[in-house]
Amino acid sequence: MAELTLDDVTKVFTEDDGNEIVAVDDVNIDIDDGEFLVLVGPSGCGKSTTLRMIAGLETITSGEISLDGRRINEKPPAERDIAMVFQSYALYPHMTVRENMSFGLEESTDMPDDEIATHVSETAEMMGIGDLLERKPADLSGGQQQRVALGRAIVRDPEAFLMDEPLSNLDAKLRATMRTELQRLQAELGVTTVYVTHDQTEAMTMGDRIAILDDGVLQQVGTPLECYHAPNNQFVAGFIGEPSMDFFPMDRRDDRLVGDRFEYELTAAQREAVGDADRVTLGVRPEDITVDIEGGGSHAYDVFVDVVEPRGDENTVHLTFDRGVDEPETFTATISGLRHIQAGEPVVATLPPDSIHLFDAETGVALHNRSLETTEVTEQLT
Amino acid sequence: MSFGTSTDEETETGPGYPLRRIVLYVTLVAMAAFYLIPIETGIMTSLTNPSSYSGQFPYLPPLEPLLSGTGEFSLQPWQNAVDLLGQGLVNSAILVIPATILSGLLGSMAAYGLTTVSWRGQIAVYVTFVAGIFIPYQAVLVPLTQFWYNVVPLRTAFQPVTVLPFVQGYHWKLVALIVTHTAYGLPICTLLFRAHYKKLSDEMIEAARLDGASIYRIYRRIILPLSVPMFAVVFIYQFTQIWNDLLFALTIIQFGDASVVTQELVGLGVSQSGTNFPLRMAGALVAALPTLLVYVLFGEKFAKGVAA
Repeated sequence: MAELTLDDVTKVFTEDDGNEIVAVDDVNIDIDDGEFLVLVGPSGCGKSTTLRMIAGLETITSGEISLDGRRINEKPPAERDIAMVFQSYALYPHMTVRENMSFGLEESTDMPDDEIATHVSETAEMMGIGDLLERKPADLSGGQQQRVALGRAIVRDPEAFLMDEPLSNLDAKLRATMRTELQRLQAELGVTTVYVTHDQTEAMTMGDRIAILDDGVLQQVGTPLECYHAPNNQFVAGFIGEPSMDFFPMDRRDDRLVGDRFEYELTAAQREAVGDADRVTLGVRPEDITVDIEGGGSHAYDVFVDVVEPRGDENTVHLTFDRGVDEPETFTATISGLRHIQAGEPVVATLPPDSIHLFDAETGVALHNRSLETTEVTEQLT
Repeated sequence: MSFGTSTDEETETGPGYPLRRIVLYVTLVAMAAFYLIPIETGIMTSLTNPSSYSGQFPYLPPLEPLLSGTGEFSLQPWQNAVDLLGQGLVNSAILVIPATILSGLLGSMAAYGLTTVSWRGQIAVYVTFVAGIFIPYQAVLVPLTQFWYNVVPLRTAFQPVTVLPFVQGYHWKLVALIVTHTAYGLPICTLLFRAHYKKLSDEMIEAARLDGASIYRIYRRIILPLSVPMFAVVFIYQFTQIWNDLLFALTIIQFGDASVVTQELVGLGVSQSGTNFPLRMAGALVAALPTLLVYVLFGEKFAKGVAA
């Protein structure tokens, strides 16, 4: 158990034809001892490459990675005392579960055989695979193989766990169960963990903190709620949250924003935050938009319902300003699952000023995030 | 009632078997006969008493006096063959077993180093290995003789080893042949193992590295156990190649006590009074038996490994 620090870590791949691809660009993250950090981002953003550099499976082009205060750039994977769980589990097919789990201890420690056997049995019991010890991986289900892969990592009692999308190959129900189980395990064992995923739900629910990457560049590191309510830029705002935030490109004109379909009056504080920016993107989360049958006032707009997706606990309503168009431009709102709304219905959508986010249209940087004085979240964030 | 697949023009003959199937069976039987008749003839000839061998109806069993001209049944050719080839069989065994094991092991290690372990320039080294497959044995005969008889003092260096029981002075030639066959068998063995290792999961090897295993330990505990199917393939291939080889044997052993079975077959049953065909046939079959046995024992694994 130890702190893991990434200092200006960069990875450049040089292709055969001389082309240089910057997979990871100057990433800085400080992971505390025992923290569960989730590295999240779309495919190809460099999160797996970063993980592999921590593991030692990729060389580091520049920058430094330290574990427990000591630089590990030059150490081969075998000496880093790090355990990794792979997406494909990477079990040894010719060995039984017991042998799979004993391998790490046999190769990297001087532990006597009976002690190894005890450790393996205990860990297997903890993982719920105690009665599978004499089986081979081919005789196990996907979920069981995943537990063996986890058990193999846990039994080594390493300084850090690395997990590369371990839940991706499981079906949805099993994934949900394993998510909670992994969280519980990590809290119990208290081992520093770096977890890579492309699924923002996993990131939000599992991480103590999440680090969002896009195209090799670190966008934000923060707690899930920080990233949700106070995103650094438009990318983070759009990536975190399901369904994603609605974006409206607008032009700034005096004290209001003018867009294709509607105008939006800004408060004094918001005007100040926008400053000189000419083009601004207005962002609002679907759950903050209120939908009524009738109504008015500022920030209320007449729209039509295009599609309703009932989820039971909520309804995801796709709203549009254009009626009768074949494929209209829509934005999403989330309303209570008990309300009954039909496609084609005219409704009034209100975008409350205290819940909007404003982003610079050129750079994507957040100019103004929603104010949280009206929610209890403020208490947790400060 | 139709047994075949449904096509528009289906000609049926006899009890409902489609014409296509009859043609198929006839072709298969013809091919089987074509391949098996020489062996069957050899077996029939080898069971004939040499003095009554007439050369007529070689493919018929020797059933004199029932069928005239086929010769009398006798196991004598086989007994003679075993007696005469005995030394050659022993020498061949001494040659084949170490050479096969060595070329298999070294090929597996070479393929591991060239495929699973990553390092600069390994493709170039691998390409030179592959180039080795295409060296024609005939081209290196003279240099080989020079090498073993004039350049490398193996004969003298081997002398001290002769104090061990069962080891004779002439065995140095077999050692030379073992080394030669191992060397020339390496490229194809490396190629076969490489094809197998390329299919192993990269992540599994990475997991082993993270588990703390060194390059050698990964080979011993993971690669080697997973190579067993390919070892069967290599074993059968190399066994057959080395056992049946005549060219290198003639070049390096030349003549004498160290002769292997292929060399001894050359002059078996040939004398001034004519050719003893039953003896030659029996000899050929005796010489072929070990390879047949190896195939019977490992053949299934071989077919699986080659198809993979």
